[in-house]
Amino acid sequence: MAGSAALALPRRALAPREVPYVALNRQFAGESAALLTRLQQTLASGQWVAGPEVTELEGRLAARLGAKECIAVGSGTDALILSLRALGIGPGDEVITAPNSFIATASAIVQVGATPVFADVLPDQNIDPARVAAAITPRTRAILPVHLSGRTAPMPELLELARRHELRVVEDAAQAIDARRSGKAAGTFGDLGCFSCHPLKNLNAAGDAGFILADDAELGQRLRRLRSNGLVDRETALEWGVVSRLDSVQAAVLLERLPALDGVTEARRSNAHRYRELLHGMPQIFMPPCRPEEHNVFHTFVIQVDRRDELQEYLRERGVGTAIHYKIPIHLQPAARALGHGPGSFPVAERQATRILSLPVHQFLTPPDLEYVAATIREFFA
Amino acid sequence: MNVRYSYLSQQFGQIDELLEQIRAFVKTGDFTLGAELTKFEAKFAKLIGADFAIGVGSGTDALKLPLKALGIGHGDEVITTANTFIATAGAINEVGARPVFVDCGPDFCMDVSQVERAITKATKAIMPVHFTGYMTDMPRLQAIADKHGLPLVEDACQAILADIGGKRAGTYGVAGGFSLHPLKNLNVWGDGGVIVTSDAAFADKLRLLRNHGLKNRDEIACFGYNSRLDTLQAVVGNWLIDSAESITQGRIERAAYYDKHLGAIAQLTLPPRYTDRRTVYHLYMVHAQDRAGLQQHCLARGIECKVHYPIPLYRQEGLSHLGYRQGDFPIADAQAANVLSFPCDQHLSREEQDFVIETVRAFYGVAR
Repeated sequence: MAGSAALALPRRALAPREVPYVALNRQFAGESAALLTRLQQTLASGQWVAGPEVTELEGRLAARLGAKECIAVGSGTDALILSLRALGIGPGDEVITAPNSFIATASAIVQVGATPVFADVLPDQNIDPARVAAAITPRTRAILPVHLSGRTAPMPELLELARRHELRVVEDAAQAIDARRSGKAAGTFGDLGCFSCHPLKNLNAAGDAGFILADDAELGQRLRRLRSNGLVDRETALEWGVVSRLDSVQAAVLLERLPALDGVTEARRSNAHRYRELLHGMPQIFMPPCRPEEHNVFHTFVIQVDRRDELQEYLRERGVGTAIHYKIPIHLQPAARALGHGPGSFPVAERQATRILSLPVHQFLTPPDLEYVAATIREFFA
Repeated sequence: MNVRYSYLSQQFGQIDELLEQIRAFVKTGDFTLGAELTKFEAKFAKLIGADFAIGVGSGTDALKLPLKALGIGHGDEVITTANTFIATAGAINEVGARPVFVDCGPDFCMDVSQVERAITKATKAIMPVHFTGYMTDMPRLQAIADKHGLPLVEDACQAILADIGGKRAGTYGVAGGFSLHPLKNLNVWGDGGVIVTSDAAFADKLRLLRNHGLKNRDEIACFGYNSRLDTLQAVVGNWLIDSAESITQGRIERAAYYDKHLGAIAQLTLPPRYTDRRTVYHLYMVHAQDRAGLQQHCLARGIECKVHYPIPLYRQEGLSHLGYRQGDFPIADAQAANVLSFPCDQHLSREEQDFVIETVRAFYGVAR
């Protein structure tokens, strides 16, 4: 009797489990008392714009990442826009970047009046230096590599190209805080490194936030005035600027969290490592190898699979949240129509866009969570 | 006596209730375009009398995004005033257009009679600034704009709840931009801004522009910006917004008290006071003989009076490429040389005001 009842039920090898893609509420539950105390102190000071918290945060980030200057701004997008502006890039100029990033990378180029020129990517989703070399024209002024998913782009090759063609390098390190290549931090290779501290980033504020790393003091000074209306003091506007200052309250949140960043990164790295073990040997899954010189921080953990949409749905039905970064490459977005690209322009990025799936990799996952996700994937392909 | 300019520590002296709300909020993790923001936007739209409000990153962005939504860019001209804060012209420059200045009148706002002279084939919009909380003469400006088929985008950053005959700042143009900077009448805990409009399609465009042009999570309709009012700041805004009217009334009452006493001093000239317009006194600004002397005298006695602004915008070094010369805008020049702003916020006490009045009298040797 019992045997036939079991046969009548669908085979369920796995006990159902909820594995959300993000877990911001868990982060806050654990820290909100200390965070609120700090916020209260900041508020009592009344210095809510450009307060001492901002200066302290800038100092700590510069020291941690190994840059001479850190300039905190309103968002990662603004970090890119202001960096391009500080380098004098504008109408008539071309900037080479990857077509598979978040839209903000390309829109920053558009917003300063320059033209984004895309170069296709490598199997690991980062920009392909050979394609960059082929995209250089007399109008090219800069290369804007993206350290996608928290893996550093091939910086030695890109820097060599930049040196040979006298190009500037602005790094989009929005997903790559503390990522390193041969010990050097993402964001410190080029002229300027741009970071985001959006709530979903590894180091996250309670709202939009970003910062820029620089080694050149003059560039640093220029960025400081560009972020505050071009003002050098209360009265004098030396040039046109914008308003893109990190709120003191957000700086306070980031200061509170900065000491935990090592732990966040380690947890993400260890989760990624565990996925690699658990999914090892599956021919249906491509996971870009991690090279010895790379220290990847896994802002996302991306697998590449056929039948991606089916797998995503299968996981969703079984309580596993996933995401796609990003489903439509930038050059195929309606916004980019004027740039004149179409399907087939960047085949590697386009193929990846149909195959990539980001698995939950945040610091609140437990070993059973990871095993459940991997087992569910194995079950799907079985 | 110390008469401070910033009243933030008083305004946020009793915030246990707000901190409770923040505590509850941070646990939700709903930080970007969250529910508290939607609630704030609805309240703000209702407060101003517009159909839609869109929370953005700053007052500057509240001016830039409407220009962008109007399709204004390289080669275009936007008319504004010569005496405003840099951000007004900065927003115009940011979209690639050229700011064209007209002089201001005795009320610090655009001298509307000079606007038509500044219109060229390249003019794409007019951006009046309701400076210090005065209303620009909007009915007249609107007639001019209509005649030339030009849209109006109002810089209402300093003029929340100012009105003409009950019609509020921000509701005349296709859009009005407001600032929520900590020193504004309605303020939050950092940079923030709001755009109001009653055009549904325009509101949709603004919502796209503030959020990377994202139609949904995957599709991008246009290149945009990242300029969202933090939901955390919207929690602060929601806590304060019901007091907006009493804050405004507090400022108007303090201005009236200053007027009564400072207005009697011959060396000071008050700007015109209107009966048909509501001025909200973001700044209480007077024209002073020997301004430098008076300011020194007041500062030395603990009164934080300020100059908004000593160098008129059109003469800033960063704008020299626009080709304006000293003397092009004589009223703005004259005002830059003699204006002085006194604290006039809702937390200022009668004793503090009396001290300001006495100190000014003493400087000019005027008896009570």
